[in-house]
Amino acid sequence: MTQANSVDATLRTLLADVLGLGEERAAALTEDSGLFGELPEFDSMAVATVLTEMEDRLGIIIDDDEVDGEIFETYGNLLAFSLRKVTD
Amino acid sequence: MAEHQLRIDHAGAPRATIVVVPPLFEEANRMRRTLVLAMRALAADGFAAVLPDLPGQNESPVPLAEVDLDRWRDAFAEAVSGVDGPVIVASFRGGALIDHKANAEAWWRLAPVGGASLLRTLLRARVSADREAGIASSLQELQDQARTAPLLLAGNRLSPAMIAGLGASEAQAVGPLRSIGLGTDGIAGTPLWLRAEPGENAAMAQAIAADIAAWSKTCGIS
Repeated sequence: MTQANSVDATLRTLLADVLGLGEERAAALTEDSGLFGELPEFDSMAVATVLTEMEDRLGIIIDDDEVDGEIFETYGNLLAFSLRKVTD
Repeated sequence: MAEHQLRIDHAGAPRATIVVVPPLFEEANRMRRTLVLAMRALAADGFAAVLPDLPGQNESPVPLAEVDLDRWRDAFAEAVSGVDGPVIVASFRGGALIDHKANAEAWWRLAPVGGASLLRTLLRARVSADREAGIASSLQELQDQARTAPLLLAGNRLSPAMIAGLGASEAQAVGPLRSIGLGTDGIAGTPLWLRAEPGENAAMAQAIAADIAAWSKTCGIS
């Protein structure tokens, strides 16, 4: 599995775990799928949980000032941010 | 003042009593249904199962802002000391941070987590909620504030001692201990303690109960 595929799979599992999406809904997420503001489950506590789990599961550290609203706008944005952090 | 506890008894003398330390803060609410299902399964298998309220949590008369991890450790040890017969402590997630002062025959921990990670999530939830409300705050700023006054984090008013304690707290060595996670080598299930909307999982509860019962046997309690 390429690194991009593995980050994508990790992220989908993580969102399924935190948002209770179920495998099918998590697998159906596309680049344009809206997250924060779109999925009712995605509240500020869920944002916080996702960030801490991303650190644990992807082995990265996320600084406070790197996080803005845009990251959580779509699945594509979150994936791009994660890939950038993993390859940094 | 005595705290409430949920106790589920086996009909007849129990093989041992399983005393549960729930996950901390919001994670406790998300896990409670499944924890209680696991306790029922244990009771059906010949154990007594006890879930004590921690001071400041659930039905406790104590304000949360007055407690810290040391008080939870003492309160849990006291709850265990009130149990007759052999005790196995079963801790979930952050519960593992406060289970080591108890006097027990054995310990069992599921997905133990460091206090710093729990605190980071709580602080981030506050930053994220602040951002939505148009207030700029940062983890560092909040931690500085928390040195001198209680801080409201995701609905929990936490004392400076609680926040400092969480930031520095890791699960302590106990024994005999079985510490496991989720997945093929551990409990089959999903991390319900992370779920934004509480769910429940009966199969996972059965798996938890079966693993604790097997550990009890390994420790010579049967």
